[in-house]
Amino acid sequence: MISAPLAVTLTVNGQRRQLLAEPRTQLADLLREQLNLTGTHLGCEQGVCGACTVLIDGVPQRSCISYAVDCDGAEITTIEGFDADPTMATLRQNFSAHHALQCGFCTPGMLVTARDIVLRLGEVPEARVREELSGNICRCTGYVGIVGAVCATARGCTPQESAAPIAAAALAAPAVAAPVENAAPRAAQPLKGGNSLTETIAIAAPPEQVWEAMGDLPALAACLPGAEITEVDGEAIKGRMKVALGPIKVAFAGTGTVRLDAATRSGVLRGAGRDGGTGSSAEGELGFALAPSATGTPGGTDVAITLQWRLTGALAQFGRSGLVADLVRRLAQQFAANLQARLAGEAPPAQPAPLNLFQLLWAALRARFGR
Amino acid sequence: MKPAAFDYARAATIPEAVAAMRDGARPLAGGQSLGPMLNLRLARPGKLVDIKRAEGMRGVALSASTARLGAALTHAEIEDRRVEDVTRGLLPHVARGIAYRAVRNRGTLGGSLCHADPAADWVTTMTGLGATMIAQGPAGERAIAAENFMLGAFTNALAEDEMLAAVEIPRLSPAARWGYAKINRKTGEFAMAIGLVILDGPWARVVAGAVEAPPALLPRAAAALLAGETSDLDAELAERLPHLSPADRKLRAVSLRRAIAMLSEAR
Repeated sequence: MISAPLAVTLTVNGQRRQLLAEPRTQLADLLREQLNLTGTHLGCEQGVCGACTVLIDGVPQRSCISYAVDCDGAEITTIEGFDADPTMATLRQNFSAHHALQCGFCTPGMLVTARDIVLRLGEVPEARVREELSGNICRCTGYVGIVGAVCATARGCTPQESAAPIAAAALAAPAVAAPVENAAPRAAQPLKGGNSLTETIAIAAPPEQVWEAMGDLPALAACLPGAEITEVDGEAIKGRMKVALGPIKVAFAGTGTVRLDAATRSGVLRGAGRDGGTGSSAEGELGFALAPSATGTPGGTDVAITLQWRLTGALAQFGRSGLVADLVRRLAQQFAANLQARLAGEAPPAQPAPLNLFQLLWAALRARFGR
Repeated sequence: MKPAAFDYARAATIPEAVAAMRDGARPLAGGQSLGPMLNLRLARPGKLVDIKRAEGMRGVALSASTARLGAALTHAEIEDRRVEDVTRGLLPHVARGIAYRAVRNRGTLGGSLCHADPAADWVTTMTGLGATMIAQGPAGERAIAAENFMLGAFTNALAEDEMLAAVEIPRLSPAARWGYAKINRKTGEFAMAIGLVILDGPWARVVAGAVEAPPALLPRAAAALLAGETSDLDAELAERLPHLSPADRKLRAVSLRRAIAMLSEAR
C-alpha cells in the first residue's frame, strides 16, 4: 500500500518551502532526505533518545515522531539554523570548553534542548539541568561536560517570559457523569511468576454438563473473544486468535493439540502461532480442570484455568509482560461469562472483530486505486 | 523502521473528526504515544485523522466548581500554567514529570488518557481528582467518570466512533493538600509505581497507579487519612492488587507512603 504524497508548506530555518510528503514520512526524514539537513540525527526513532530534537514553532519537539504533513504551516529550526543565535553561540563555546561532546551524534539534539533550558528556565540548580536533559541520551561523555556547559551558559540568566495564558471561557453547566459503579475487586489469583496466571471461574451448572459443553471445541473457542478453531482432526487443531491491545492489533494463525481426560474432567490445549503483520510469535498452553463448586452455587462447577504463554518478536519488545497479563485476565473473564451464557442456553456470544479483514482489504484497495 | 503507509486527513471540527472515525480513521492528536507504535509497525491504521486542530479541542472553560480542559492541550501548556490551574498545583506538578520537555510540547492530555497506558500519569491523576471525561460521538456528548474510562491496559471506554473532546476537573479548595510520588528508574520513563493522595476538607482519595491495570482506589486508606489514623496499607493493596507480586505491591506501598508524606509539605 502506498499513500499518495500530500502537499506540505514549512518554513525551515527561515526559508519557506513547499514540499510533497507521504503521510507516514516523519519530519526528520523529510529534513534529512529532501532538504539534506543531515544535522538532525535519528537514533531510536521512538522519541526516547532526543537526537532528532528540533524546534517546531519555537519549541523543542521530536522530529522522529512528528509527521511532516502534521507539521503543515509550522516554522522549523534545525541545528543548521542557529548560526545567528547568540545563546547558541555561547553554548557552542561552552560545549567546546567543557569537552561536552565526543562522537557528536547526540550534540544537535543536546544543543537544541540546552538552548531551551537556558532561555526558559535561566539559571537553575545543576539537578534541574540534569532532569531537563534526561530526554537526550549521550553514550560517550557521561554528561558531566554537557551539564557543565549548560550551567555555565545559564549562569546569571533569567527565565524568558513564557507564552501568554490560554484564555478561558465561562462554563455554564458542568457535566454530570453516570454514577460510578463500584466494581467489586476482580477475583484474580496471584501470578505464578513470569507469564502465567490461574483463574477459577464458578459456573452455575453441574460438572457433567460443563464437561459436555467443553468437549465441543469450536463452540468452546467461540466463548474466547477473538478465538476461532477452524479444523479439528483427532488431537490436532488449527485456529486463529485475534487480539487487540489498544492500537496494536494482531492475528495469530497457528496449530495446536488438545488432550481431554474424561476421568478427571480436565484438559490441556497447546498452541503456537505467528502474526505476519507485526512479526510476532506466541505460544501458549491452557489447562483446565472441573470440580464440584466449593464456594459458588451448590451443585455448580468450579473451572480452574491455568494459562501460560510466551511472546517473541516486536510485540514482546513493546509489551511489558504485566500489560499482557492484564489482557489475558480480561480475556479469561469474558471467556467465563460467555461460557456461562452458553450453558444457560443463551444466544452464542457475538464475536468481536478486533481485526476486520474486509475493512483492511477495502482500505488497501481504496488507497491503491482511489486517486 | 518507518510506519506502514496510511492516509491522513485533518478535521476542522469535532463532527468532521467523528465522521472520519465512522469511516474507519483512527484519531491522531500529538502522536507521542501512537508514533512509536507506528514506527515499530505494531499499529497499522489505514487512516489517521488529526483531531488536535479541530475547533474547541484546545479550549478552556471555567465554572465555580470545575475547569473544562480541551483534550488537545499539551502537557507543556499545563506544566507552564498557561492553562489556569484549579488543583492547587497538582496538574502542573504531574505534567512536569511526563516524559521529556520535547515530548510534552507535542503530547496532549487527551491523547495520553485515551492511550490508557497503565503507567502513564494522567489516568491516575484524573481518577484521583474524580474528573469527568467528555466524549463526543455521532449522538453528541457523553460524560464518563474517570474511574470508568480506562477499562484495562491500552483499552478505554470510548466506542470506535467516539473521541475524547475535553476533561472536566473539579476545583480543589484553597485548603486542599496533595501528594504525588512516582517511582522510575530514570527521569521521564514510564512509572514503575505511582502513589497519589488528595485531601480536601471532608473529601479524600488515595490511588495506587501504574498497577498494570486501571488505577486502584483505596477507600480504606482514604477514610483513615480523614480520621487522622494510620491504615493497613499493605493489606488493602494485597486485596486490591492480587495480580501483582509481593515485591511489586511493595513498590506501590512505598510510592503511596511517599505521597502521604508529601501532604505535610508547604506549597
